[in-house]
Amino acid sequence: MRKAVNPAPSPPSAITLAMRWSNFQRRYAPYIFVSPFFILFLVFGLYPTLFSLYMSFQSWTPSDGWGRWKYVGLENYTFTLTDPMFWRAMWNTLWLGFFSGIPQHLIAIPLAFVIHMVLGRFKTLVVAVYFLPYITSSVAIALIFNTLFATNNGVINLVIAQLNTWPVLGWFLPDQNINWFLNSTIKYGIALVVIWQFTGWNTLLYLSAIQAIPKELYEAAAVDGASRYQQFRYITLPLLRPMMFFAVSLTIIGNMQLFEQPFVLLNGGASSATQGGQTVTMYMYRTAFEWLEMGTAASIAWILFIFIGILTYLNNLMFGRTARGEA
Amino acid sequence: MRASGKRLSLGGLLLRLGGYGLLALGGLLTLAPFYFMFVFATHQRSEIFGFPPPVWFGEHFWTNYQILVQKIPFWRSYWNNLYLAIMTTLPALFFCSLAGFAFAMYEFRWRERLFAIILATLLIPPILNLIPFYLLIYQIGWINQPKALWVPAMAGALGIFLMRQYILSAIPKELIDAARIDGCSEFQIYWRIVLPLIRPALGTLGLITFIGSWNRFADVNVIMRTQETKTLPVVLRTLQGATDVEWGAIMAGTALLVLPLLLVFALAARQLMEGLTSGAIKS
Amino acid sequence: MKRSLILLALLLLAGLGLAQRTTLTVAVFPNLDDSIKAQIPLFNKKFPNVEVKLVIQQYADHHNALTTALATGQGLPDVAAIEIGFVGRFAEGQGFEDLNKAPYNADQYKRLFTPYTIAQATSADGRFIAMPVDIGPGTFFYRVDILQKAQVNPRDMTTWAGYIAAGRKIKATTGAFLIADAADVAWINIFATTPANQSPYFDEKGSVVVDSPRFVRAFELARSIRSAGLDAKIGAWTNEWYDAFKKGTVATQFSGAWLQGHLQNWMAPETKGLWRVQHLPEGMYASWGGSFYGIPSASKNKALAWELIKFLTTDREAQIAGFKAIGAFPALLSAQEDPSFSEPVEFLGGQQARLLWRDAARRVKPLKANKYDRVANEILSSALSQVLDEGKDVRAALAEAKRLIERRMR
Repeated sequence: MRKAVNPAPSPPSAITLAMRWSNFQRRYAPYIFVSPFFILFLVFGLYPTLFSLYMSFQSWTPSDGWGRWKYVGLENYTFTLTDPMFWRAMWNTLWLGFFSGIPQHLIAIPLAFVIHMVLGRFKTLVVAVYFLPYITSSVAIALIFNTLFATNNGVINLVIAQLNTWPVLGWFLPDQNINWFLNSTIKYGIALVVIWQFTGWNTLLYLSAIQAIPKELYEAAAVDGASRYQQFRYITLPLLRPMMFFAVSLTIIGNMQLFEQPFVLLNGGASSATQGGQTVTMYMYRTAFEWLEMGTAASIAWILFIFIGILTYLNNLMFGRTARGEA
Repeated sequence: MRASGKRLSLGGLLLRLGGYGLLALGGLLTLAPFYFMFVFATHQRSEIFGFPPPVWFGEHFWTNYQILVQKIPFWRSYWNNLYLAIMTTLPALFFCSLAGFAFAMYEFRWRERLFAIILATLLIPPILNLIPFYLLIYQIGWINQPKALWVPAMAGALGIFLMRQYILSAIPKELIDAARIDGCSEFQIYWRIVLPLIRPALGTLGLITFIGSWNRFADVNVIMRTQETKTLPVVLRTLQGATDVEWGAIMAGTALLVLPLLLVFALAARQLMEGLTSGAIKS
Repeated sequence: MKRSLILLALLLLAGLGLAQRTTLTVAVFPNLDDSIKAQIPLFNKKFPNVEVKLVIQQYADHHNALTTALATGQGLPDVAAIEIGFVGRFAEGQGFEDLNKAPYNADQYKRLFTPYTIAQATSADGRFIAMPVDIGPGTFFYRVDILQKAQVNPRDMTTWAGYIAAGRKIKATTGAFLIADAADVAWINIFATTPANQSPYFDEKGSVVVDSPRFVRAFELARSIRSAGLDAKIGAWTNEWYDAFKKGTVATQFSGAWLQGHLQNWMAPETKGLWRVQHLPEGMYASWGGSFYGIPSASKNKALAWELIKFLTTDREAQIAGFKAIGAFPALLSAQEDPSFSEPVEFLGGQQARLLWRDAARRVKPLKANKYDRVANEILSSALSQVLDEGKDVRAALAEAKRLIERRMR
């Protein structure tokens, strides 16, 4: 290739060859450089996705042997959509999506505001602490919480018992130790874990948005005599809308796919509270790898996909217009 | 930092103190589970679930460790984790920066459209692909082979995006043109000029990829079928059996799983957080 | 000279070849691993060149991994342990060797085992896919100290009504709960009332029977215990469960005989001498738990795998070693004749408990396993939890469970 620049000593045929190569590589380099992504995406992303669409209309279990699918039309979809276990899992997912999602943002927004207002030098350190759970393995987190959720002498129950002796708070808390691993309680436990894990992430997102708000706005408001709360209410919150839209979208997409936390807390489906806590993705996983109904599992994936689409659309309706308007 | 710091009234002071208190409480709640993980790793089960539960380090870490290595191929799983993380990170750095370079520095047909496709793939919920992905791996006979996990991750969309953004901001186009006039081939430009200049971004992307891979669970759990090939999170979970669960040993294993990331994070927290948020926000 | 040297070299090589160790992979779940670990040294006395490698996974993971591996033919062990809840599923699939056929000819060994186990491992079309290694004769544990304090005679508890009445008395006088989880009363009733040649949840034709009167009664018994406040509402295999046994806050427990091994080895060793066992109320006999070993058809060492299985299941010494390690009750009849069986069990205050369990095991009716046993079990336990924890109507819950199980059977 060096020769192409310094062609003098080379015979004429070599010149044209080298120049051709030089032209060729210059022209096609960008395509070659971006091609790995597209090749990998076609093979490991698009092909499986399309294949799962095809699979969702087939009945197949791996022991039938590769390729021996049986076309069953919409049966997988009608089965799933009339399956009480699926709907229970969907209810669990929506419940968890809401009760583990909303608190994250209700905590993260004021938290980010407070961090921005009161912290100077130690800001990075404090945010890093809050952010720590986000980079920690979900399996590790679920295993840790598994021990903290012990009914007798579990750290969480002991803390609740302690809070119970306080005035006012005690009215809202149960008197007895909570058994976190019942059909009726497991969802609260999972939600707690998810809130703990992802609030820091949202705080970081909101903080970066708050930092982008021009200081002059606050200064002008302060001159006009606006209190801290008023500044938060009338400057920060409205300007945070685009970020809220974005962060809530991420939470929706993430929470609808919740898998590892319930999977570990429910001992892979072996827990007696499995029905009360398993999410759609976990149900899909078990349909595929425990009951080996690959076609049905594929249909569950697509139904969930449509659900995520609808929720994202609704979020778009709620936040989207203003978010884009002010972005 | 202080938006209206000029007026430090009593109310402002109280507000500030309240803010500190709130942040301290939140920090405590965030750190407590980590703390208990380390503490429990040094206690036996009967102590962990006794009254009161231990709040300070005990002396059974070694016992727990012994149980761990006896019950599971602990270091083998650890190595699998490390191997997978390295094999995922290195090719990703190469292919993502290469593609990011192309999107940032070249004018070519369909550039915008191709880039839009890449961003759009970020919206596909990954877990939906779990079953078809498993079927594909099964079809091509890669079950139980680590390459089934790292080959598909070699050129991730998020990485390409981060690289493009960084290259756009950090490398002047004139530099590329100058190198071209000097006779560098396109790949040489990337290798000799671009790569050395984007080291900070490579560091960030490397960290993000490494951490993501280190924590992987759902797909590893499905693809890796034997204890020798499983990674640590998957193997640790199998310890959580129906009978005689050694929670002290599980916590010891969990602590050893989490510890390296805590150290990495302690060293590069700012870089990581900036990389992650910028990646998320700008896309 | 030269020739003899070559010969010598060949012989040496051959010797090396013979000495080469073969590795057998055995997939097991806890705590069967402790049992087989005690048996491997004995096996190696007979087969010194076989290295047995254990793959130990948690109970549910083990069976799910086995299911997927069988389906895909990849990652299979040479020998796989199968718990009773799953044996029906694997019997109806095609992944295991039919041990009735040559070269196994397992028919000759069947009379050696506790009779009811054979049908469990036999598929509808007559294939015999696994040899029984241990069984779980259902039994009734009680704390003699608590009963004495409450002045309850264990004989008062030979009917379910008497059992509940005793529970009230125990609760009133000692504060101890009758049982950790009322659900266990439902389970022991379900297992014990299973008619001959049926699975607990399916009849001979494979129809779901979970709405039949025996299920209604089992659920109602459990509910009456829960609503009388007699159970501690503690799920099995939780730390609270172990704690309750340790501290003596529960007076009785229904389980397979294997629970004694767990109690003695790790759950509550300090309660030694405080426990006793007796037959279930109302002349019931039940099978609660049990394990099998089978050979996946994809195994490359079938002959050796069969030697290992034969050893583990039909060698009296091996069976007793496993029994001593974890208290897993041997399936092999001759092992049950071992003198150690009439020895008093220290942990049970010197009771000759093994004779009682042997008696119970021989009275259990032959059981069938069904492909859907496991999923039926999961659905039913969810229904039971709805009845006990959420106050759902028994009949409604069972009807719903039946519908859910039937949906899974397509």
